[in-house]
Amino acid sequence: MYNFNLSVLLSGQYHDWLVAGLLLSIKLALLTLIFSLPMALLIAVLRLSPVSIFRAAAIAYVESIRNVPLLAHMLFWYFGAPEILPEPVKAWLYERNVEAASSVIALVLYTSAYMAEDIRSGIRSIPKEQMEAGRALGFGFLDTMRLVILPQSLRLTIPPLISQMLNLWKNTSIAMVIGVGEMMYQAQQVESASFRSYEAFSFATAAYLSISLLITLLSSWYQQRYPVRSA
Amino acid sequence: MKKSNVVKFAPQFAALALLGCVSVHAMADQLADIKQKGELVCGVLGTDEPFSFIKDQSSREIVGYEVDLCNDVAKSIGVKPVLKQLAVAARIPELQQGRVDLLAASLTHNHEREALIDFSLSTFITGQKVMVKKSSGVNQLTSLAGKKVLTVKGSSMEQNTKKALPTAEIVSFDNSPQAFLALQQGKGIGYVNDETSLLDNYSKLGAAAKDYTILPQSISTEHLAFGLKKGEPAFHDQINKVLHNLEVSGEADKLFMKWFGPSTNMHFQQRTFKIATDKID
Repeated sequence: MYNFNLSVLLSGQYHDWLVAGLLLSIKLALLTLIFSLPMALLIAVLRLSPVSIFRAAAIAYVESIRNVPLLAHMLFWYFGAPEILPEPVKAWLYERNVEAASSVIALVLYTSAYMAEDIRSGIRSIPKEQMEAGRALGFGFLDTMRLVILPQSLRLTIPPLISQMLNLWKNTSIAMVIGVGEMMYQAQQVESASFRSYEAFSFATAAYLSISLLITLLSSWYQQRYPVRSA
Repeated sequence: MKKSNVVKFAPQFAALALLGCVSVHAMADQLADIKQKGELVCGVLGTDEPFSFIKDQSSREIVGYEVDLCNDVAKSIGVKPVLKQLAVAARIPELQQGRVDLLAASLTHNHEREALIDFSLSTFITGQKVMVKKSSGVNQLTSLAGKKVLTVKGSSMEQNTKKALPTAEIVSFDNSPQAFLALQQGKGIGYVNDETSLLDNYSKLGAAAKDYTILPQSISTEHLAFGLKKGEPAFHDQINKVLHNLEVSGEADKLFMKWFGPSTNMHFQQRTFKIATDKID
């Protein structure tokens, strides 16, 4: 019978490792969110742009990113991409926390491709006559977007974006393959140091679950507080 | 029925008991006993290259580093060496029951075993070491303090690195090729692995090998030694004397190079230990 020892989780060295992992996971998720939102917005607008080259570039981006597993993105941005940098830049970068930086880049690119699609569908839900009306009144494409379309569509887009946040939160765990000391990495460290597998992974599970539930709660609160107005 | 069984086998029991007394008596001085027998029985594995293994399938002769050492011990006593092949788990019981005089069977010297048997001077010391790029200028373990050190997840290496280099920043990967690649790309200053894996990686570097070096100090060490029965000071001294003389005469180094050197599969460039101690950490 396995002797589940809760005290390992509540104090001491292993507790510290696990908490450090949790904090780093949260940091990764927040940083990724901050960078991927504007990036996703840009890509969504490009996909609807009247200029065909912009549309093509945005479609190529979304399809190439979404159709490759996140694990491959991580390994590419850690082992592959930095190698083309010039030697002094590489040396400067590698002395710092290149692991976390690579994982944030991979997560931002990956998450923004999904978010861009959500934002685009939000924009498309606004009748195209509004765009035509705006243009007829003398606004340019970008001004019509900024002043007429986006304020309405972003409200529609928030719930699916929150659900992308949920995915993003769980996706941070993939960063462990490139040696980022996030939640799963630390749980594995505790396991190999103490053989306390159940305790370590219980902590990780509880941490992922509680943050995920918080995000879900946020989503339902938002939908109640700001219901979608019919056009 | 049970009772009659005991009665029936009573003579055999008596004979066994007597035999036990005789053997205990004969073992009073193992060294004298070996001289009287005219042979030294060495327990070997025969399956662990290059310590003891069968090189030529047709002759089935067991050769190796430990076999050569055992031959030297036998020669010093003036008796014939006899090899007895043992299973890994049978090594200590076979020695304790007196079926072999000496264990030359890739035996790791550790504290748990010290309660059961005695150990000679360490005949082979290996360990987990650190590979670095020569351009990093790191030439000893202490220079790695505060630096990024790469290793493999879930291994004793992680724990040992933490102990040996408490201030180093340890980055662990899923497997050793990834950790080794990260070293080549310069994502860490040092790469920790066990010595044989490092040498294997090193030999695969090809022409680039000249840019890399393995630090001589170990992160953690493992000592291999001869095992012998407890309470045999004369025999113990005899073995240690032979090993000590091999070291002093330079013969030990030659033996090492013969079985582990650059021309072998092991690719050791040099010997980083001396046969001098029977102390372990």
